[in-house]
Amino acid sequence: MHPPSDGGHFPPPPPPSSSEIRPILYTPRPIEPFADNYINAEAIAALEQAAAGEDALALTAEGLKFGMPALSAKHEQLQDRHHPVIHQFTRMLMRDGKLSKAQKHVSLILNYLRTSPPPKVSPLRPLVPGSPPPSQLPLNPLLYLTLAIDSVAPIVRIRSLKGMAGGGNALEVPEPIDARARRRQAIIWILDIVNKKRSTGSGRKQFAARFGQEIISVIEGRSAVWDRRQLLHKMGTAARANLSHPSLIGRKRK
Amino acid sequence: MASTNCWRCLARPAQRLLLAPISVTASAPTLAAFSTSAQQLARAADGGGTKHLRTGKRLLLGRKKRSPDKTKPPQAGERKAFRKRIQLSNDNALEVPGLEVLSAENAVNPDSVGKVFGVPAEVIDQLRACEAFKSSQNWNLFRSPHLLVRKETVDLATQMTNAIEKKETLRLVVTGNRGSGKSILGLQALATGFLNKWVVINVPEGQELTTAATEYSTIPNSKMFSQPVYTVKLMQTMHQTNQSILSQHKVELDHMHLPISVTRNMTLTALLNATKEPDFAWPVFEAFWKELLLPGRPPILFSLDGLAHIMRISQYRSPAFELIHSHDLALIRMFTDALGGKTAFANGAAILGVTAKGNAPIIPSMEKAIAHAVAAQNGEAVPARDPFFRKYDERVFDSLRGVKVLDVQGVSKTEARALMEYWAASGILRSRIDEKEVSEKWTMAGGGVVAEMERVAFYDLRATS
Repeated sequence: MHPPSDGGHFPPPPPPSSSEIRPILYTPRPIEPFADNYINAEAIAALEQAAAGEDALALTAEGLKFGMPALSAKHEQLQDRHHPVIHQFTRMLMRDGKLSKAQKHVSLILNYLRTSPPPKVSPLRPLVPGSPPPSQLPLNPLLYLTLAIDSVAPIVRIRSLKGMAGGGNALEVPEPIDARARRRQAIIWILDIVNKKRSTGSGRKQFAARFGQEIISVIEGRSAVWDRRQLLHKMGTAARANLSHPSLIGRKRK
Repeated sequence: MASTNCWRCLARPAQRLLLAPISVTASAPTLAAFSTSAQQLARAADGGGTKHLRTGKRLLLGRKKRSPDKTKPPQAGERKAFRKRIQLSNDNALEVPGLEVLSAENAVNPDSVGKVFGVPAEVIDQLRACEAFKSSQNWNLFRSPHLLVRKETVDLATQMTNAIEKKETLRLVVTGNRGSGKSILGLQALATGFLNKWVVINVPEGQELTTAATEYSTIPNSKMFSQPVYTVKLMQTMHQTNQSILSQHKVELDHMHLPISVTRNMTLTALLNATKEPDFAWPVFEAFWKELLLPGRPPILFSLDGLAHIMRISQYRSPAFELIHSHDLALIRMFTDALGGKTAFANGAAILGVTAKGNAPIIPSMEKAIAHAVAAQNGEAVPARDPFFRKYDERVFDSLRGVKVLDVQGVSKTEARALMEYWAASGILRSRIDEKEVSEKWTMAGGGVVAEMERVAFYDLRATS
């Protein structure tokens, strides 16, 4: 394993007697493994296989009952294993850092949606376009939840710029927000109502029942969340006039 | 001597002198010699005496205005009803066609292992009446209750049927890890009992009897205690579930001592339904039990879930204010005598004790007794008791002497596949069921522990669908 100590490294110096320069023979240094590692052997075998024009991964799947698991892409993180709505929603339900409890609540909410009768969608409160017929919702509770949250999510946020309106008054300006922030606002509104609602049950399912009822009332257009959304949108429409406010335009020019 | 300054404000003595002097009248209430608050309050109320400089001005901190809750408060018992509600159907779930219905023959047939069976409607009613369904189980997700018949189910049903055919008594304890399906196995045993027309007596929760949640009273001329309200409830349940069998049998003994009149032409159903008076409940139930043990009566299935709770000191107190041992409660004594083999059943019986793991106290005596029973069953050397533990309870050992033990572990992969195919066909589990998926969930569930499989299937939040 080890290179010979007798001068494999350094070719012997030319004898001083001869004056002409002879070409030094190149002796390749043997590879020095830092450990006896079977993975190296496997990797080398795989490389050889690839060099022979065959599938390099076919070798490693040998002995696996269900083949090699699909490798996750570079952007796929462990944290992304849940649906984005579920991920955000769970973390917003979480209190005192108890994620597992929040996850249990989310599961129970989804089960509540599974077991409640299909909602009757009101034409006055249109849902997000492209939503499936309500009869299909209970068996796809994740879609049900996402539809409710996305439907009541506001499309603008009103930003008040301090002192920009002159005389110390704040200038209210609407601005578009991204999907995650929209959902966040919707979940906050729904949670507000749910937390104020009086519980008529007890036990571990009662929060899920309250929340599930509110989700259903959102889909059916009965929820007070819709009024909050409407109010915000009205304010946004009114504040649209401020977009051409001199101080704002001046700021933009800078 | 009190200071001349007012001690509650910074009023000067000079200002204080301007006010009327405090008149201590003899009529002032002198309830507490060392407390002045009552007297001061009383004085302030009748307006007499001096008023403090700051009367009526109180510093209020941290009091928020709260609008009264206008919604109607829940009715009495509504919250508990929500918690305990059993929902056995879900109209959203798809109906699974092509499944057989459970019958007495199916339950003992080895070919039905790894198949899902529907439950006949009348058996569902009976099981519901005897509280075999629990609110922690996921019955509410499916269109109608279905059961997976597993190896243990057939094993238990066969043991029960064989013992009863030979007019013997099967005394059996169901053990197993948490969530492995012990209570469901108990439910399947009850269903078998109903299908075979046995008299089924079920105590759904052992802890209901020992946590001092139901009323109790002494039994005259005895050291035991009865639980009259629970007994009435049990009799009503039995009347509801076993009516068709018990109405074919008539009273054969003379029950002179009973507070109600019982005649020979009364059926056993009528005897069960004869009283709803808690005071008479225990004597009537005892009389019914005596009648049931006579030869020629139908076989009995007596089952209790949550065995550990009845193997310890209960939370009831005797008149001498000493804690009562659970086995001194007459109803529990009836069960433990049957389980321990002290009661002779002429017509064959199956006595089932189902242990629980989620909610159960640790009873070293029970664990040791079950270990003894397992060793005896396997023909091994009996494990010795811990010589340094002095709290072993002989009564527990007596009540579990010679029982058989059925250990419930995870389901096999075939059974798991049948179960997952049923879930998928119901529309609850949204994924393709293939060998890989089944294997994955089975492994994730610690080798097919059913509750864990439900957890990774029903409570999964993954974005697979």
